This record gives sequence, structure tokens and C-alpha cells, in this order.
Amino acid sequence: MSRYKVITVKKTGLDDAVAIAKKGTHCGMCRIDFLGTGLCPSGRKHGYLAYWPQGRMELVKHLNDGTLKPTKTLIDIANSCTLCGVCDKQCNFATQLRPEKVAQALKDYVNSLDSSEFQNVPEDAIVKGLRAIVGEQWATNDPMIIASYVRSIIPPGVPLDFYVVMPETSEQVSQIIQFANTHNLPFLPRSGGTALSVASPTVLANATNLERGIVIDLLRLKKLKIHPESSTAVVGAGVTSFELQKEAYKHRLRANVAEAGAHVCANIATTGIVTTWGNAYGCFADNFIDLELVDTDGTIKKHHELEISNPYAVDNGFANISLSPPYIVTESTVKLFPVFDDEEAVLVPFDNVEDALDMVLELGRRGVGLSLAVLSYKYLAEFICPTRQIATDFEDVCKNYLKLRYVLDVVCKKEDKKIVEDIAGYTIDQDMLKNLILGSPKLASLKNSEFMKILSEEKDPLRVIFAGPMKKHLEQGLDATPANIAKVYDADLQDFFKKIYAKPEFSNVVWLHAFRILPSRLMRQRMAMGPGGAVWAGDKNHILKWIKMFSDVGDKHHLEHALGFISPLDHGKFIYIEYDYFYDHNDPNAAGRISATLLETTEKSLVLGNIFTLINYLFKGIYRKEHVLYPLPKGLTPEEDTIFRDVLHSLLGDYEEW
Amino acid sequence: MVKFLSEEWIEYGKSYIHKNLDPAKDLGNLTTSVLGVIEHVPPHDTVTNFYLELQDGHLSDFILRAGDAIIEKQPVYVITGNYGAYRDIFEGRTGTAMALLKNRIKLKGSKIEALKIIKQLDGLIDALRKVTDEFEE
Repeated sequence: MSRYKVITVKKTGLDDAVAIAKKGTHCGMCRIDFLGTGLCPSGRKHGYLAYWPQGRMELVKHLNDGTLKPTKTLIDIANSCTLCGVCDKQCNFATQLRPEKVAQALKDYVNSLDSSEFQNVPEDAIVKGLRAIVGEQWATNDPMIIASYVRSIIPPGVPLDFYVVMPETSEQVSQIIQFANTHNLPFLPRSGGTALSVASPTVLANATNLERGIVIDLLRLKKLKIHPESSTAVVGAGVTSFELQKEAYKHRLRANVAEAGAHVCANIATTGIVTTWGNAYGCFADNFIDLELVDTDGTIKKHHELEISNPYAVDNGFANISLSPPYIVTESTVKLFPVFDDEEAVLVPFDNVEDALDMVLELGRRGVGLSLAVLSYKYLAEFICPTRQIATDFEDVCKNYLKLRYVLDVVCKKEDKKIVEDIAGYTIDQDMLKNLILGSPKLASLKNSEFMKILSEEKDPLRVIFAGPMKKHLEQGLDATPANIAKVYDADLQDFFKKIYAKPEFSNVVWLHAFRILPSRLMRQRMAMGPGGAVWAGDKNHILKWIKMFSDVGDKHHLEHALGFISPLDHGKFIYIEYDYFYDHNDPNAAGRISATLLETTEKSLVLGNIFTLINYLFKGIYRKEHVLYPLPKGLTPEEDTIFRDVLHSLLGDYEEW
Repeated sequence: MVKFLSEEWIEYGKSYIHKNLDPAKDLGNLTTSVLGVIEHVPPHDTVTNFYLELQDGHLSDFILRAGDAIIEKQPVYVITGNYGAYRDIFEGRTGTAMALLKNRIKLKGSKIEALKIIKQLDGLIDALRKVTDEFEE
């Protein structure tokens, strides 16, 4: 039974606002200016998540539940939106949602309230203390703001017994931690929040989120300075991958970064930035020169200081688990790498993973390529297709007609391209890739066509279409123009997207790889969970057995699943694999199945042995890769497996057996 | 029910463990010792320590000391945390393993060895949880 006035269809007249809000996955793309539109003016000014489109969507869900009584801050949140439409463009590119309708619904809701319907939340001693550290505007206990952090650091369903504070400096972070400790309050830093939102619907919600206490939102630590003379950049904890890359590119330099909306410092601390560029650029401590850290006592340290506890040694094994960062990385000095004039992207299509794996291992060991990865057809489709439906049809075409199951995706210099072409026999070159991106709606529409049926009867349809006489016909037939791809968007956005796709970078695969704006599409309207880890590259059967295990468990739990990517690390000595499961995050049953899948795949990986799983490396990102990756842990004995289950039981409670 | 970190808590805790926990079944005939260091104890922001020792699954020592450190014991594990973290554990809001892995309490000693006896430690905490429901605000 609802306790407070609820946002309803009847009340707002906008029947899809709540539905839109529920589809939000906290991908964070509304907080980076990846389309050149500028950023949400409200979010940029006020900072707190509630003032950004993703936060408003979260708020609307709470108000719809009737579990949240408005405060006067809600008026400010609603009115701060200028309905400028930037969020609709950003969100549409990534996830096809229209957050502006949600913002309008919030305005309508606020206008429908009378003054008696607002609760008053007085400033308490904790907020006073936090405000004394960061200033009046940047600390709050207002439930309207706190609710916007649910599902991206606060687990759903808990009382909103929290504070949110937004420091601007490492010194303020230090003072907040000391204040929290003195007042016996737990705390957790928040950066992009997407990883936490991925865990939120699952059994891991309580393990990774903050149960009560102080959310330290690091968005205001925006220091960003490129040092071209030393090919380094100094990056504050509020800087995203996209923002760093954009600045680095102005100097013809490139950073090794995670997804566009992810925060660089948090990625360093959490998972060590393992990317498709990892074989050339490194991973874990390779990524940085120095760090500024704040420990759990609030002491500020530099990574180079001798007093720091040994940052290089790490116990390996299943019991060395961390669920929270040992330090908050408030600033990092990261390495940058040269951008070459002759860089190109080239794809090698495969109909089976074994051959794709052979070739990526060969290139990895030879040191060919800057970015190197095997992608499944699903990743390819999700990345390049502008809508979910087109991606689904594109997948169908790849799988059932072209027999395109995997691509080896290489970004390389000219001399390396020659090696790739020599080994591969035939490739998908940069021009064809551009055609596939702009022509993806047309290719997807050929599903069930006579053309595809005839093509599928060929012995090697991939060769026919990418290297044979059909190549020219395909290029012409795709109608690959910005105007044509723009037609798939809502009518009012078509002109805008025509201009966007006319920009060279939006069909330039090298740029798209470096800026990583496309992975957000994996999260369109549903959640993607990607467990994985590293294995030695020398035992191909072991790798294939591991991939099959992920696939079998996905089938068992009736989840949509596919290989994400396979990339070599450390000069081809290691292979890193991400395997993805997709599910509706609003369906509790699906969340149960994804939880079981996570636990089962982790346990099976540990029992299989010689595998370095997510739990082995989570929050060990600041270590040297040599200390994280060597030696790989042996498989669990039955006795150790029992202990592992005891630990899980202690962490997760009476969770249903998998 | 008695107040957390009081002498009564120690006495009731001892009695409850002796009466209700089976040395073999519940405590795995474990021999270990834990020194708990609780910082920022309200209302005067002090430090309180407790020391708990098991011999072959039998509780052989359980003492409490406010202010001064317990230096005469050589515990296998030292667990340091603020009052809020300990309170959350003894109120059942979070588990020992969760608090440890989320850095809310710090462990001196082998984390890996500690996790291996987590089932028994959880049993002990659960027993002590049953005798206390009064905490400082």
C-alpha cells in the first residue's frame, strides 16, 4: 500500500515516464559529453545524482512506489531541468530511452503537490559536520537526493539512512573519513556507479553496496592535466575515461581506459583497467606512474612513499577476497601512448572460436596490434547497431546466414595490418566497417531475404561476402549513409543523428575503440553482467573448456548469454576473457537466475583451477600484474570448496543453492 | 539481555557459549584466540578491548578491558574496528566476513586462515549476539 502521493499515469498524463525510468540501468552516459551537445546544465551545476537524468529516473521510481515523501528539494530538482533535450539525445544513442519525459513527469508531479505534502528533514549533527568540511551545498541528508543513489551504491529496499557528501579535494576526502570513523559511520566512495548498479539486482547487492552511512560522491575531483613532454596525465577521481581520452587526443596521445562513463581512478583501484589494448599498453600497475590515496583511517599517501604498506605483494587464492577498496584513489598520474597517423582497424571474421583463438594468440605473442580482441557476433551487433531490435536482427543475420560467429578485431599500424592480412587470408577493412556501421539497419533488414538464403548456402559465405564478388554489391546495397541510419531514430531526433553520424569519428572504428562509447549499448533497457578473468594462453583446451562452462551455466539458468571478448595480456602470455549474461533487471526471477549463475560460474572456475577470476582481482588494481597474475591459483580441493561455500554463506546468508 | 561491552556481557556470553555451543559440532574443536579492539566507543570516544580464546572448541578465556590494552595475551588474530562496525556485527546488520572484506574491520593475522574458520567465528558471534541488545547511541 502506498504511503505517499504516487506518480501515476492519471496524475501526470505521461504514461511512459515510469516505464522509461524502470528501464534505466545507470550506464552513466548522461554525465559525459560524448555527442558534443554539452552536458545536462542542471547536473553540471548541482552535482548530486538527483540533478542528472539518471538520478531523476531513479527518483521517479521511488515516488511511483509511494515509499518516499517529497521534501522541498524535489521542487528544486524538478525545476532545475530546462528540458533542453540533451539527455534524450545522449540516452537515445546509447539505450533508446527518453529521460526528458521523466523530467517532465517530475515537474508535473511537483506542480500537483500542495505545501502540506512536503516533509521537512532537519539538518542533523552529521550533516553539519560534513558541511563544515565541504561547504553548505555539498553535503546532505535529504531523502530526495539520497534516493537517487539507490541501485548505484545504496542497495534497493533499505531505509534511506544515509548521507551524501561531495568533496573537492583529497584533503576533504581525508577529513570526511576521519569524521566518519569518529562518528562510527561506514562510508563508501562512488564514482561512475555503473559497476555497482550491475551488482544491485543480484545477490551481490549487499556485498558491494553501502549498507548505511556516508556516500562519498567523487564527481567534483575534476583535476585533469596532460603532460605531453612525459606522455602522462594527472587525473582526479571525478574524471571519466571519455574526458581523459578527449584531452589526451588533443596532444595525439591515448590513454588505456575503461568504458566511456567509467571513472579512471576508480577503475585503477577496482579492476586495474584490463582492456583490449592491454597487450600493448599493459594492465594493473602498468597503467600509472603514481597515485594519491586516502586510506581507511583518512591518511593521505602517495604511492611512491616508502611508508606505504607493500603495494606489490598479494596473496593469491580464493580466500583473498576484497569487497571494498583498501584506499580511495583521489588522483592518479597515468601513462599515455602515442597515436600514430597510420593506425587502422581491421576485422577478421570466423565461424568458430577455436580458429579465432589461435589467431589472437599468434598476434598477441608476436606483439602485433595496439588493440587486439576476439569479439562474439553479439558484441559486434550490440556495438554497431543503433537500436536493440536492429541488433537482434543483425545477430540473426550473422549467426544464421553469414556464419559469422566471431571477429578478431585489431587496431594496428600499417605494417601490422599487413601481417594480419597475410595470416587471415581475407579481412573486413576499414571502409567495409564504416559501411557496416552506417548500413547496419539495412543489413539487419535482410534477415529472411532471398539474398541471405542464397548466401547462406555457400560453403564459405564470409569469404563470398567480404572477399568475393558479392563485396561490391553488399557495399552498394547497404545504403550506408548518415541520413539512412538516422531514419531509425524517433522523428524529432533524426536531423540530429544525421549530423552525428556524418561526423567521421562515429564510423571510425579506431576512434570508437579508444573512446569506448559503444559498450553502453550492452546495457540498453536491460542489464549485462560480465564475469570472467585470465588464464594462461598456453593451454588452449583449458581456455575452451572454461568458455564452454560459461555457456553451459547460461543455458542451465535460461539466460541470454554470449562470449564478450578475448584479449591477450603480457605479450600474449595470458588471455583475458569476459563472458556476458543479459537479463531484465526489473524481473526478480531473472535476478535470481543471474545470481545463481554468478555463484556457480565462480565456483566452477575456482574448482577448474589455473584461472584468475573476478574475486581474485577485485580491488587489486593497484598491484603489479606480475603479482596478480602469477601464479594462477590451483583448482580448489573438495575441502577448500567447502570452505569457499562457508565464506559465501557467511557473506550472503542463506542463499539458495545453485 | 545485557549491555554490549559490559562485564555482564562477558559473563552472560561465557555462560551462553558453554551451555549452547558444542565444542566439536559448532566450534570444530578449534584452538584459536581473538583480540577485539573497539575504537571510538561512545559516549567518551574511548577504546575498549576484549580477548576471547578457544582451546579444542572450549571457551577458555573471555575478558574485557576498557582503556588499557590487553598486552599480556598473544592472540592469533587482532580485529580492530570502530564501535559502529562492531555494533553492526553484534546487531546482526552485517556479518564478520562482510565487515572484514569491506574493510570495516581490520585484521592482523592471516585473512586467508581467518576465512577458513569463518563458520566457527560466525557461530561464536551469533551466540554473543543472543545475549546483548543494548548499545550506546
